[in-house]
This record gives sequence, C-alpha cells and structure tokens, in this order.
Amino acid sequence: MTEISRRPHSEKKDPHWVEWAVGIVSGLLILTIMGWVGFEAITEEDQSPSFRTAIIQKSAIESGVRVEFEIENLSTRTAAAVVVRGEIRDGITVVESAEAMIDYVPAQSKSSGAIIFSTDPGEKAVWVGAVGYSDP
Amino acid sequence: MSKSMQRGRPKAQEPRIFLVGLGRGAAGALLFGIPMLMTMELWELGFYMERHRLFLLLLANVPLLIFLADRVGFERTTTLIQACRDANIAYGLGVLMSAGILILFGDIKIGMPFSEIVGKIAIQAVPASIGALLGRSQLGGSSDDQHGGKHDDSNDGDNAARDDNEDAVPDELSTSYAQELMLMAVGALFLNLNVAPTEEIVLISFKMTPWHALATMIISIGIMHAFVYVVAFKGTHEMPAGTPWWHAFFRFTLPGYIVSMSISFFVLWTFGRLDAVASTQALMFVIVLSFPGSIGAAAARLIL
Repeated sequence: MTEISRRPHSEKKDPHWVEWAVGIVSGLLILTIMGWVGFEAITEEDQSPSFRTAIIQKSAIESGVRVEFEIENLSTRTAAAVVVRGEIRDGITVVESAEAMIDYVPAQSKSSGAIIFSTDPGEKAVWVGAVGYSDP
Repeated sequence: MSKSMQRGRPKAQEPRIFLVGLGRGAAGALLFGIPMLMTMELWELGFYMERHRLFLLLLANVPLLIFLADRVGFERTTTLIQACRDANIAYGLGVLMSAGILILFGDIKIGMPFSEIVGKIAIQAVPASIGALLGRSQLGGSSDDQHGGKHDDSNDGDNAARDDNEDAVPDELSTSYAQELMLMAVGALFLNLNVAPTEEIVLISFKMTPWHALATMIISIGIMHAFVYVVAFKGTHEMPAGTPWWHAFFRFTLPGYIVSMSISFFVLWTFGRLDAVASTQALMFVIVLSFPGSIGAAAARLIL
C-alpha cells in the first residue's frame, strides 16, 4: 500500500504526437527568445541614460496647479531615482520650482509623474526636465 | 481503516471528515499565504492595481482551483461538481483567512475606503486559496485516504506505470499531458505571486546585462529538468528504460519553461509592471520572474 506512493512517477513510453508538437514549438520559442536576448547582448552599446521630458497636461487643483509629465529614457541603460524638476520661468528669473522623484525610468521606456506648483503659471513658461539620477 | 474511508464512509463520520478537511484547508491557506500577507507591496497593489486586471486574475484563479481541487484538494473528490464545490470552499477560505490576517495586522481598519479593503483581500485570496487546496497534499493524511486497498490488483513493477495511467482514482498518479502542464502553471503562478509584487524583480533585471539573462534562461531550464528527472526527490519522475533523456526534455521541460514564462508575463502584466516598458526590458523582467516560476513549476510536478 505504501509502495504506491513511493514509486516514482513514470512517463509514458509511447507519447501522443501532441506532446512532441508542443515540445518542438516550445523549443523554437525558447530559441527565438534566446536569439533575441543574444542579439541584444552582442549589439548593445553601453550608453549613459539620457532623457526626454514632455508636459502632458496642466490642471488646476486645490493646492495650485498640477503639471503632469512623461519622461522617456532614450538610452539602453536604466536610471533609478530620477529627479525631475519643474520650473515656472518669467524670462530668466525662476518664479517657482518643484521636484518629483521617479523610482525607475527603464531603458528605452517611459515613466510618468506630476509636479505641483502653488502659483498658477498663467502665460509664463513652464520647464520640466531631469536633473539627476542614480544607477540601479 | 483506510479501506472503509475510501469505500462508503460511515454517515456519522462525514461531517467530521469534512471539518477536518476544512481545517487542513485553513492551515494550508495560512502556511502558503503568510509570506504574501506580510508583503507590503502586495497590500499596496490591493488598492492601486487596475481593477480590470485584478478581476481577470480572480477569474483566472477559478479554473486553476477547480483543477487543483480535482487533483489534490483538501479532501478526496470524484466528480467535477465536488471539485467545483471544493474550489469554491477554498476560495472562500482564502478570502476569510486573508481578511482575518490583514485585520490582525492592522492593515485593514474601519474607515478605510471599501474598494481598498476589497482590493487588499481579493489579491491575497488568490495565493491563499491555492494554499488551501495544497493543504491536504502537504499537511498530511493523503496516503491514508488515497491509496487504500489499491495495491490488491496485482501490479508488477514493469507495467505498474501504465496501470497508473488507466487508473480511475483521480488523484492517483495518472496525469495526462495537459494536466501536467496545468500543474506546472499552478506551481509557477504560486511562486510568481510570492515574488512578483516585490521591487526586487524589476531591480534585478536592471542590474542584469543580456548575457546574465541568457545564462538565467539556460540555468532555469537546467534546474527544471534536474528537479524532476535527476535529483532523486520523493516523487521524482522516471523515464521508461531505453528512452533518451532528451525525450522528457522536449516533451516536458521546454514546454514547462514556456508555461512558466507565460505565467510570469501574465502576473507582471496584472501587477502593471510592464506598462510603458520597452519590449526588451519587459522580456528581461519575464526571464527574471521565470527563474522562481520554473522552480515552482518543477516542484509542483514533484509534490502534487
């Protein structure tokens, strides 16, 4: 009685063709993925993170004005703890500045966030950009 | 004794056996659910993850539970209706245990928004319900009410394996190919849910170069195969004599890895980790998460 539970599982001697089909398709898929990753490994240049920020939307909220932005990492290296600063500028003088921290901006990917100003920029220029990051 | 439990249990014992089953389920939910119940990221996901993805995860859990209830469960089931009933109970147990523990930890309090409370419980209920169904197989009693009186039919060693495949007892080791893949999916999902919510998965893949990822893939596949066919765990699988090793490698290990990768992808997408991430980077996340996933998949084939 106890021997049954102890006996090793055993695979069938004459498997259905579906098993082979699934196996071969899986093998091909894995090879494709490995090929892709391998290609990346060979061709990847070691770039330093570089960013492009864009303002998506400005909306008035209770405590001021919320400026939503999107930040894109154009390089092949991920940046962590990216500090994004937003400034309201009147000519060359900075009227107000505020910062937001983005945990990660993965390589060639986008992250988003928002900066909240207490004053309404109105017609003044709003600048948003990354001012620092750390390597993960 | 085991015979009498298998064939026609005495009526008076039924509620008691059922209650014991419930207890095992609750114990399983606790044992397997506790790492996730104590993970901060999973609490947070409970209130911020997109509701349609959470809903999909909760739905996807249902067939897995029915399958598990049929294969393992916390009591012996013979029909699909019974399996559905047990899956239902397990889901309920998962919800109850999650709610109880989260309240105990002060993570759910009066005055919190209703959607936050529901979200937190719902996401924890998935691993807890799987745990509830693993309760029986892992926390005992199984050989007692499983294999009773079966060995009477004269099986000699050689064709014993074939007999298994035609056996009518559902949790006897008669797994069809699809079931074997499903088992791997459950194992992968379970381990994935353990680690996917943490920030480390993302962080690790950022630290890795594509070369690391390639090595991780090869090692994951190697570990999967070794777990099941090489290392002599209890429940290890044997190939019939004269079959080359690559037969099992192609028929089980490689599809198993693809299953594990698919589950990893699904879990990462569910948790919103793949949003606005470049495809190569997303693939790296999947490869990293497939590492524990494939170990879970292989382990599921051994222990379930």
